[in-house]
Amino acid sequence: MSKVTLDALRWQDQPAQATITVNGGPPQVYFQITAPREVAAMCQGRPVEELPRILSILSPAHHLCAAQALDRLFGVEPPPVAQNMREALRLALFFRDHLRKFYFLVTSLENPFADFWSQDAQRGPHGLRSLLDDLMRHVSLAQEAAIILGGRADHPVTAVAGGVSRSLKEEHHARLAEIAAACRSCAERLGGFLREQVFPQGKILGEIRGLEAGPLTSLTLAPEPDGLVLRGAGGGEAERFGAATLFDKVGLHQETWSYEPFAFLKAKGWQDLGKVPADSLFFVGPLARLNNGQPLATPLAEDERQRLVEALGPFPRFEVVAAYWALLVELLGSAEGLVALCEVEKLSGPVLRTIPKAVGKEGHAALESPRGLIYHHFRTDERGLVVEAQVLDTATANNGLFGILAQRAVEASLARKEPWEETKKRIELSLLAY
Amino acid sequence: MSRPEQKKKLAIYTATGCRACEQGILDLNYEVNELGRFADPVFWPYVLGTPWEALSEGKVDVALFAGTIRTEADRQAALKLRESSELLVAVGACAAFGGLPGLANLADATEAKAGETTGSSSADGEGKPTLPRAEPQGLCLSQVVAVDYVVPGCPPTQNLLWAAVLALVCRGESPARLSYAAGRLPEAVAEAIAAGVLPRRGTTFAGEKAVCGSCSRIKEEKKFGICKRPYQEYQETGRCLLEQGLICQGVATQEGCGGICTGVGVPCRGCFGKAPAIFDPGAKMVGAISSTFDSKDAKEIAALVENFVDLAGTFYRYSLPSQCSLLATPDKG
Repeated sequence: MSKVTLDALRWQDQPAQATITVNGGPPQVYFQITAPREVAAMCQGRPVEELPRILSILSPAHHLCAAQALDRLFGVEPPPVAQNMREALRLALFFRDHLRKFYFLVTSLENPFADFWSQDAQRGPHGLRSLLDDLMRHVSLAQEAAIILGGRADHPVTAVAGGVSRSLKEEHHARLAEIAAACRSCAERLGGFLREQVFPQGKILGEIRGLEAGPLTSLTLAPEPDGLVLRGAGGGEAERFGAATLFDKVGLHQETWSYEPFAFLKAKGWQDLGKVPADSLFFVGPLARLNNGQPLATPLAEDERQRLVEALGPFPRFEVVAAYWALLVELLGSAEGLVALCEVEKLSGPVLRTIPKAVGKEGHAALESPRGLIYHHFRTDERGLVVEAQVLDTATANNGLFGILAQRAVEASLARKEPWEETKKRIELSLLAY
Repeated sequence: MSRPEQKKKLAIYTATGCRACEQGILDLNYEVNELGRFADPVFWPYVLGTPWEALSEGKVDVALFAGTIRTEADRQAALKLRESSELLVAVGACAAFGGLPGLANLADATEAKAGETTGSSSADGEGKPTLPRAEPQGLCLSQVVAVDYVVPGCPPTQNLLWAAVLALVCRGESPARLSYAAGRLPEAVAEAIAAGVLPRRGTTFAGEKAVCGSCSRIKEEKKFGICKRPYQEYQETGRCLLEQGLICQGVATQEGCGGICTGVGVPCRGCFGKAPAIFDPGAKMVGAISSTFDSKDAKEIAALVENFVDLAGTFYRYSLPSQCSLLATPDKG
């Protein structure tokens, strides 16, 4: 038996590697997360109101999700201005996360730091330098918007039980509107580049063209409050249920070779990762959201969604290329959403918080984060100290998906007799889209 | 300005933690477009996918190490980067003090054992791969190897991160952008950066005083008559949060952030670590609060104290491993 470990995989939020074993038959690929995230242990015993700050270690969107769970736990409804500020922060995080992924995609074939100042690099082997500068600048701008709204960009602090902790000043309003408009223009420019040079031509994405993870069930927020939707691999709605029952529907399976558990559908039971079809697994994220096939509310994003359908076919889609295209759709949509939200009257008001009157015992929330659906469920004692914190992160929800993608990327590489370095790139590019 | 003849070799790595510190370093490039001019990142697994073998090609000038030491792989990474690097920098609260992952040290021992079992490196009969074994508890970088410099914060602020890069990587070759950071750095560190020489080893890229020194909130009279929790009603702007009865650790925390959290209406939780003049931030907080109790009645004080909850998890939110290690001090490489 031969064993190869591809370490470290680029752009993963947690240290990750792929281990490939071949024992006469087809290769067996293990997508491994090699460091633990002891979220439950970190949260246990903490005052529950501290969880938005602690759980942001998973991603900034967890700050918002935890604050929503606190709203429910304390039985308070945030005032409209607080809801708008939280939503604006969520959209800024979408924009920054998706744009950073495109930065990684565009630089995937070269070292973005190499020969930065040489004459050749001004043009770059792919003529990408000016585009990269544009992306860099707008990642910074989205980060600035997140700092205005969240206090910090990566570990925000302003979402609190019942609302937000800060009001915006006049200069903040003006700056947010300026940033939102710039982000929309940037998304349009990037869309033009991707449509002309990447999606149709196979440039950059050539290595993963034809690669797909599906068919897979998707899990997303439902249109009605506090609802979730499981959409079957064929695209039809399989089940709709209240968010509070998520862990009645979704189980977590632990393998000995990865610190990250695998989310699965309890109704189907845990099945081996190599099983085809993988009907006990599901996935979350931009493509999962688009797989509902519904028109989008903002015009630029909807136009882009239509272009995706024209090029690839109707939803549901499972190709990696479709997942990248979904990122572009959401990049446009988040920028449009920011433009619409960053108006003075929507982000200003006399009341920022609804003050809780008593400590509750239980609260939960589900939120669509840039990477997909996330979920929190907190239980507390009579003093409001955390007895149990259950969290579904996208890394757990998509762990099975990543395993499938890594397996298929390796099989495609072996079929082409590619060197391991190319196999690693193929895996990395596949996972980056989700 | 002409390009430096030889760029500094840079290694960037995160052990157990999130990617916020690394993204902060990446954002330096977004914001100033200069990192690539002065540094050649020869080892950056997150962005470049570099394998460990790359470190065998020669000494690295500066290694920026983020994350908590939680697994055997983290420990080996720390040892290897220490051995391979001229300067080793602990970046972020996790590497500097243990950070949020260090909070798990407070959890029941049974949970730690479960983690250890999961991470067992014992051979598997089916040929399945193994995992790096979990350490008995989370550690900060200086509990495993000697650390030359510290950039605190969760994550570090961009200005101090940039100050560290100017000081340690660019070493005077960058255009003077010092005003960006110098206002919050000790004078000696700022002067060293301006002169293009290395600051004293052991320097922390942060201020000299406590966060209260740069917090913009209004301080009146410190009298602790009520203990509030952040979900309760208080003034988000204006008066000092501690004076309003909220546990705010600005008084015990090293300055440098400019009071980011207090400025947006939430209490400081100490991500910059303890202020230089303080031995133990928890003891300092207990002293600061109890000495200002607005009562001399034992029953009233007892009732007040009842409202303080999770003191260890609050006072040592980001520094539990460095302040409260249950282990003997390990050998340092």
